[in-house]
Amino acid sequence: MTTPAVADRSGADEHPEEGIGAAVLGPPPQAPVLAPAGTSRERPRRRTGRIALRTAVVATLVLLTVVFIYPLVWLLSASFKPRSDVFDNRLIPKTFTVENYLTVWQEAPIALWLGNTLVVTALAAVTVTLTSALVAWGFAFYRFRGRGPLFTLVLATMMLPGAVTLIPTFLIWNQLGLVGTNVPLWAGNLFGSAFYIFLLRQFFLGLPRDPFEAAMLDGASSWTMFWRIALPLCKPAIVLTFLFEAQASWTDLMRPLIYLQDSDTFTIPRGLKALVDQFGTGGESQWEVVVTAGVLTTVPMILLFFLGQRYFVDGVATTGSKG
Amino acid sequence: MAYPTRVGTAALAFSLVLAGCAQGTGSSGEAPEFSPDAPLEGELSIMGFGTGDEIGQVRYDRAVAALGDVDVSLSEGALDIQAFLSAVASGNPPDLVYASRDLIGSFASRGAVVPLDQCVEAEGIDVDAFDQAAVDQVTFAGSLYGVPEFNTVQVVMANAVLLSAAGVTVDDVDGSDRAAATAANDALTRQDGGRLSVIGVDPKLPEFLPLWSHALGTDLISADGRTAQLDDPAVLEALEWAIDLYDAQGGFSGVKSYRDSADAFGAGNQLATGALGAMPMEHWYVNVLNESSPDAPLTFSTVKDAEGEPIAYAGGSAWAVPTDAENPAAACAFARLMTETDAWTEAAQARADARAESGTLFTGLLTGNTEADQLIRDELVPADAPAPWSEAIEATYEANEHTFSLPANPADNAFKTAWQDAVNRVLNGQQEPAEALAQAQTEAQAALDDAWATWDER
Amino acid sequence: MTAPSTLRTLGGTSRRRRPASTTRERRERRTALWFISPWIVGFLVFTAWPIIYSLYLSFTDYDVINDPQMVGLENYQRVLDDPKIALSLRNTLVYTALQVPAYVLVALTLALLLNEAGRSAGFFRTAFFLPKMTPPVAAGVLLLLLFNGQYGIVNEVLGWFGIDGPAWTTDPAWIKPGLVLLSLWSVGSSVIILLAALRDVPTELYDAARVDGAGYWRRTVSVTIPMISGALFFVVVINTIGAFQIFTEAYTAYFGAGSSSYSNDAALFYVIYLFQQGFEFLEMGYASAMAWLLFLIIMAVTAVQLVVSKRLVHYQGER
Repeated sequence: MTTPAVADRSGADEHPEEGIGAAVLGPPPQAPVLAPAGTSRERPRRRTGRIALRTAVVATLVLLTVVFIYPLVWLLSASFKPRSDVFDNRLIPKTFTVENYLTVWQEAPIALWLGNTLVVTALAAVTVTLTSALVAWGFAFYRFRGRGPLFTLVLATMMLPGAVTLIPTFLIWNQLGLVGTNVPLWAGNLFGSAFYIFLLRQFFLGLPRDPFEAAMLDGASSWTMFWRIALPLCKPAIVLTFLFEAQASWTDLMRPLIYLQDSDTFTIPRGLKALVDQFGTGGESQWEVVVTAGVLTTVPMILLFFLGQRYFVDGVATTGSKG
Repeated sequence: MAYPTRVGTAALAFSLVLAGCAQGTGSSGEAPEFSPDAPLEGELSIMGFGTGDEIGQVRYDRAVAALGDVDVSLSEGALDIQAFLSAVASGNPPDLVYASRDLIGSFASRGAVVPLDQCVEAEGIDVDAFDQAAVDQVTFAGSLYGVPEFNTVQVVMANAVLLSAAGVTVDDVDGSDRAAATAANDALTRQDGGRLSVIGVDPKLPEFLPLWSHALGTDLISADGRTAQLDDPAVLEALEWAIDLYDAQGGFSGVKSYRDSADAFGAGNQLATGALGAMPMEHWYVNVLNESSPDAPLTFSTVKDAEGEPIAYAGGSAWAVPTDAENPAAACAFARLMTETDAWTEAAQARADARAESGTLFTGLLTGNTEADQLIRDELVPADAPAPWSEAIEATYEANEHTFSLPANPADNAFKTAWQDAVNRVLNGQQEPAEALAQAQTEAQAALDDAWATWDER
Repeated sequence: MTAPSTLRTLGGTSRRRRPASTTRERRERRTALWFISPWIVGFLVFTAWPIIYSLYLSFTDYDVINDPQMVGLENYQRVLDDPKIALSLRNTLVYTALQVPAYVLVALTLALLLNEAGRSAGFFRTAFFLPKMTPPVAAGVLLLLLFNGQYGIVNEVLGWFGIDGPAWTTDPAWIKPGLVLLSLWSVGSSVIILLAALRDVPTELYDAARVDGAGYWRRTVSVTIPMISGALFFVVVINTIGAFQIFTEAYTAYFGAGSSSYSNDAALFYVIYLFQQGFEFLEMGYASAMAWLLFLIIMAVTAVQLVVSKRLVHYQGER
């Protein structure tokens, strides 16, 4: 049997001007128009085998989940312990107390910070998803001279450590008079971000050609092809981009640290750092506060992700035929 | 290709304009005005301070109130160097910055903060009231660059039961007699099934190397801050002695792991549970012990040098005024208000009251202002505190009277990194002490020479 | 077996060999650039200048407080002479060499497992992604606690299997492996990407392979891996770039402020040293030179990966 996968190498050589971009990512597997994974008529013996396999798989996954989740559960349980018990390694607190949360709530305008963070995160995630999709589409659908080198440039922007562009970037925002506002925290996303451009281009390259050719025959505009055909077909990738950026923006400490000054404008990570530092004066490291602060930072994102994954439809298979 | 080219060109032009304007602005070179009669108004931005506890909050509120017409804004949280440098680079530094004293030398030598001699005069800040070692740390090239706040000293803290069981006293472990300390360490330390179960004497490397070397008569850097003295035999001796203490306990790695695994800030702290014999530690830990394990069998003393005199390596924070601050006069006034004697006594009163309410002991406060320290001790610290806490208080204040510090130098961080790295290499078994210190000496001296050369040229 | 004609993707062999006409080509380019323009604008205004400025800074002596002073190639000369550069580069290279294969393998394994898990995959996928929500400071602290050589839980669990766990946080030989293990904790995002790619593999390929008698491994190697090779490659490239720039967790765990000034040479990674030089020693010019050296290295490594990929990455085309 010849697997089409390994046989065809010639495609790569036919378009040398593709250069880096196409070679890198090549198209990921295409959208199957056919039956979604997992359904087929199988003999009963095979099915028992499959059930056994699935049980084994699920069991392994459960075990791995325990390993992955344990530290988070540890954090959560530690936040309900009084200071003396924080390190006792018990999952169920010996002394259960909500006092840490009360302390944090009283000492700091958590609700305000939550609101600030929500605004910044929403703006950051929405803008980056939209613009990265636009840019990625430009790289995926169209061929033009210089596409490869330009895409290389996009990739290259990820390769310079942020530490040395920190101050020049700050100077730009300062020049625009926007230091002290939350604009620098998200406005950079108005121009797309290399990581998501890379990722979305990847998914776009895997889309089937047919719907687009049909649309072109129907005289659809470029915008329509992007907005009405490509995007809906790539919903999982879009949702994924949104969630990834939401997580990154939510937990970002460095940008609020240098751009925000007034504690009313703080986001959660920045506010919690101030809180923790407060308890640090005099040198007493109140771990229970640190841990509670950690939980407060992560729980909203966890909730969001659980909500978001309901909309996260796997694969393109179930989005209907595009014949 | 019409639109994209035009957009491209426009963006390029815009960015070039931005680039032209967005150069970092170095110091404007003008000395700030500190005049006693200048009205205090406008805005005051502060970076690097946290009002977490009553000591900070009380003084802060008092200072803000006293500066009535001035609009004070504080960016809460410890000083973040990225935030500070970004602000400086953009020409918009905060008016007042609160930093660890050992950073002042670097900032001062590069012109990031201004000399405060004029400010001291204008505001009538009583510099003599401050601890000399603290003042030395913020004095660079003859000028004062910071107003000291807080003093941290070391106190030897030990478990009395373990000591007596091993037949040693706290005098054996305070560093005055190194041989005795080594012997005590051997007697105190215990292994249990190959794992450390009792730490004997923990000399707290790398951070306390300056302490041990001073005990042997030499400091890590010369008094004028220009010459590193890391390869001095006394330093080597101090390092080797401390390393031997760790080796006798199975190596630093084991000690550190064991130390890290315990809850230092709770009832499970190693002194209370009998897992640690003795160690020098910053004095504020006394409060932690008092709160979390008030009944533990503890004993305290000061660290002593080879002649039996108490010593303490002082550290703390300071207020400094960045160059190009917009409101240096208000900044100076604020610094005075935060560090004057009355501010401290008020704050200490608040803490003493809070302690009384919660039934814990007020063990004193080291403010960096010796006048305030004395007042607080006389009026607020209970003279009849139960032992061992009275011992602890005694030791703390005695240590505070025998402080030393390393002079400010323009390569603070590089210098510190050089010797700390050397100690770490030895602790990790990667290098022998003599080699490590020799390497550190070369690195440190190079950094110092470089930095001093830049200063001398100015 | 011939691929059905529906297996034609946007990334596949182009619908025409070369642009048919210059007008069409120009129109296509213009439309493409319209789409890409947001990035171009952003790049020119916000990215290009800082990058160029950092290159300029690499030829200066800049302490951030005072204006940069030109010093020509001095910083680069110093980079060649500085033993810590060699040390930190070595540390970083070793870490990357350890981390990327481990990470990709684990991500792939988990994705393959999830692919077989049916409907419950959603829950597990979320579970694997959750650790990314942890703030880096907490992660660094957790590292020190859980990997504590004497009393940490990792060694305790190893002890159940009769393995005497090493001192992960103090033994120079085990610090990098410890950090690699920590990085595996945040494998969730790559798992999600690979899983999405796996789900897109057309089942008839598997069916055909099964009909031909191929077992699970053969199917995986011959069908699955090539079909997701694009996504795999993405994960490899992204993680290599990321591994070269390792900073936050290692800095928090081994160099962060704290009463202990203990640090470890084995954890001195390139970007950590860069950060020290720039922000702690106020040698921003030197740090910029360091950054550009790293940039070149990453570029070179990525270029090699690309060359390798041309031979290995599946490039689905029409017949």
